[in-house]
Amino acid sequence: MKRSRWRPALGLAAFTLAAFGGRAWRQPEGFDHWQHRKLFTSCQICHAGAVSPAQPLWPAPSGCETCHDGRVQKVIRWSAPAPRPGNLQFTHAAHAEAFVKKAGRDTALACLSCHGEKGAAWMRVARAVPGQCLDCHGINVAHYDAPDTACATCHVPLARAAGLSRERIATFPEPESHRAGDFRGKGHGRLAQPVSAGGRTFPVAPSCATCHAREFCVQCHVDAPEVHLIQALEPDPRSTAIAAQLEAPASHEAARFLSTHGRQSRREGATCATCHTRESCATCHRGAVAVASGLHAAGPGRAPGARIAREAGTWHPSGFRERHGPVAGSNAAACAACHARAECLDCHRSNPGSGESYHAAGFLARHPAAAYGRQNDCSECHNPAAFCTGCHVRSGFRSNNGILEGRYHDAAGAFLLNHGRAARFNLESCVTCHSEADCLACHSAQTRRFNPHGPGFDAERLKRKNPQTCAACHGRAIP
Amino acid sequence: MTRSGLLLAALALAAPGTVGAQDYLLRLDGRIQRVAYRGVRLDSIPAGAVVPGPDGGPESPDGHAVSCAPGAAFCQFYRPGSERRGGPLVLGADLAAWGFGVRGLSLHANARLGLDLGGADVWPGTDPPFQLLEGYLEYANEWLTGRGGRQFVRGRLGSTGFDGGLVGARHLSSGLAGEAYLGLGLARGVALPVTAPALDPLDEFQPRERQLVAGANAAWQFSRGDLRVEYQREVDRDTRNFVAERVALSTDLRPHAGWRLTGGAEYDLARGFWGSSDLELAYGRRRWGAAAGVRRYRPYFDLWTLWGVFSPVPFTAINGSIRVSPVSGLDLHASGERYRYADPGAATPLVREEDDGWRWSAGAGVAFARVWYAGADYRNEFGPGAALHGWEVHLSWEPRPEVALSAAGGRQVRPLEFRFDQSELIWVRLRADLRPTERFRLNLSATRYAEDRQRPDASAFDWNQIRLVAGVSWVLGSGADRLPLPPAVRRPGKP
Repeated sequence: MKRSRWRPALGLAAFTLAAFGGRAWRQPEGFDHWQHRKLFTSCQICHAGAVSPAQPLWPAPSGCETCHDGRVQKVIRWSAPAPRPGNLQFTHAAHAEAFVKKAGRDTALACLSCHGEKGAAWMRVARAVPGQCLDCHGINVAHYDAPDTACATCHVPLARAAGLSRERIATFPEPESHRAGDFRGKGHGRLAQPVSAGGRTFPVAPSCATCHAREFCVQCHVDAPEVHLIQALEPDPRSTAIAAQLEAPASHEAARFLSTHGRQSRREGATCATCHTRESCATCHRGAVAVASGLHAAGPGRAPGARIAREAGTWHPSGFRERHGPVAGSNAAACAACHARAECLDCHRSNPGSGESYHAAGFLARHPAAAYGRQNDCSECHNPAAFCTGCHVRSGFRSNNGILEGRYHDAAGAFLLNHGRAARFNLESCVTCHSEADCLACHSAQTRRFNPHGPGFDAERLKRKNPQTCAACHGRAIP
Repeated sequence: MTRSGLLLAALALAAPGTVGAQDYLLRLDGRIQRVAYRGVRLDSIPAGAVVPGPDGGPESPDGHAVSCAPGAAFCQFYRPGSERRGGPLVLGADLAAWGFGVRGLSLHANARLGLDLGGADVWPGTDPPFQLLEGYLEYANEWLTGRGGRQFVRGRLGSTGFDGGLVGARHLSSGLAGEAYLGLGLARGVALPVTAPALDPLDEFQPRERQLVAGANAAWQFSRGDLRVEYQREVDRDTRNFVAERVALSTDLRPHAGWRLTGGAEYDLARGFWGSSDLELAYGRRRWGAAAGVRRYRPYFDLWTLWGVFSPVPFTAINGSIRVSPVSGLDLHASGERYRYADPGAATPLVREEDDGWRWSAGAGVAFARVWYAGADYRNEFGPGAALHGWEVHLSWEPRPEVALSAAGGRQVRPLEFRFDQSELIWVRLRADLRPTERFRLNLSATRYAEDRQRPDASAFDWNQIRLVAGVSWVLGSGADRLPLPPAVRRPGKP
């Protein structure tokens, strides 16, 4: 049992050497341990530093020249490999000492426990594997399935692994846990929860901190400054070498999401705040959205947030532009949620500089049909006097002589006889060319006394509300 | 431009710099178009110079049909007017600034400067040159809104503009909300007071002072819809008479997924009758949708005019529309409406005039290869006063989100009921929308109009022109990611 328990410890040591030595461990320098097995009886002859921190881990090149002097053996060029930066917290000496002390074995065997295959012959050294570290430390799972507390046993947080380059960080393999169904949702938050082990308390799971730093999370989390787990990570810009990308959760794919996300956001505003800035709402919602006040404004230390593409909802079907009035009238606040007031004013206070803002091309030529039939209420956007009458006057369609003169309506031979009927149908069209004086020439108690009042005329009510209107024709003798 | 308007404009322009808003959003727009039109010119000849035309009617020697009142010394007719060209240029600014140290406090201003580069005031809307559409200071939090300055309220009773104050309150959990406002009113459909000279091209009677407008509305927003009640009155400050007093009810119900019932009605308290009203039931899904409704339209006139005493009658219409998208990218749509006027109480058997009408349209649109969109529509309408039938086609190409090019064209024929004037118009338009950055948009279009006004006499004329339109929008803001402009493309036929 003891043997099996300590072999992994040496394996861990070997792995550490691999991490620091990198290519040297794969003997790229050409040193073939097996070829030299009869010359060396102890690892420490060359690797004294493995047991004695004061000694170098690698031999001096001059040691090779003892044999490779050009006479006994050919001259070779060898130099110790440069230490390769990593994120391990490991020392050979401590592991060797611990091994010898606990196992009661010499250090040579201790080295082989990690650097050789099980039962390997002397100097048949091999590369250490992480599994040997895990075995020795009592972790009986695959490397990347190790519990959160286990990572800190061998690894330092990424922010403290100063020597690691962005390129190296980008090649970190993805653990199996990251492929779980809800990992990109709430799963990764659960895994990152604080843990305590071995008398130590980790404010964020070491399994996260080993490969990630705060900036990694800030790639997605708008609420990063408010999330304790993220703030518990040390900052390190290199962590963005592992790119993270926001993905819309499944709830956003629902057919009615656009029409229901308001209610959802009122219930789960904090969830929205993970990926959305206040500006996310403002992309579509021009008005003051109460939910938006619960979101964070974009700023330093926060992700830019999900990028929103503005689109018309299903409640804006084809032709909605022409008949949006009733909907806007019943709930103007709903319109204000997506539309700026200026957008309304673009049309409702018509802009003479924009040629085709609302009406289709050629509308000017067909506007009589639309105006006569009141396809829309023209006066909602055009002041009848300033716009309609003003343009007609400019165009010569002006009658200051009453309908008895001018004869503009020449397609109706006896138009005068039936003009009252036409006027009651389309009075809004009449007033774009005719003044009140045209009509009062006949329809006044003080002129020809033709009664202008038609069905539903409530004289008493009008007299109460505005007697001046009555006085225009009846003078002081209002009946 | 009134003194109060100038004051508000000055406040709007000066405030950001003086009080130091931390955030702002400023949208600058420039729109210019080159337009032309040709109207008519009243002319006359001595009655003795009238000659009989080919069909026996009276004509001028140069072929214009003339009207001769019995016993009149002169006969009148309309000649084609001269072609008038204009170049209305409008520069607009829409500013919102906030962050004055009080959360919820913001300043808003929307103003336009309009000029006619043709110099002849050809196009309506550029007089007076400077117009402040809105300019107000607002405080808003989750429960309260307070607003002071030039503003407009939008509801069932229309868009009412005024210079004054508004107070609103809402209770989010129950969905209840209410507003009340008071101020000096603006005229309908324009940012000018009713006393403005520009609103009186016929030298008619105008009020001497601006009307006092006051109103209130209450709304209830619940999970299945909205309900809103409005009241508004306008009083002439000079005579203390009512200018308007109306109340309206409107609702927008969503009883079940895809279903929508929208409707509302107005009641004119000053005249004592129901005004315009409508009710529409709609069902919509991604692949298809349909709507059917009824509406009643009754024109509205302020009491300071006399027009209301002539008792305009309403018409009642039934309408419907359907949209089908059998395959992705293909959209088929059709709509129609039939309407009939109420009995006007005035008729003579000697003349027959139309008292009902209808309109329908149908079309199809198809999007393909993600960058092309093509569509065609046919429209036909007939009713009192005028009729129309015609078609139009359009094609747009959006190779990149920043670029959209489109071409469109159509033909329409428009006969009038009361005048010999059948207009046949053929038009072709090219348009480009460019969005080099999210904050900058540019659009250019050129439209060739070929219009032939057909009459059986010499008063017929051609009205041909090329209309050019150019526009630019530039958004400035203090937030790097705040409010990108909407996409540059608005495809014809698309919502």
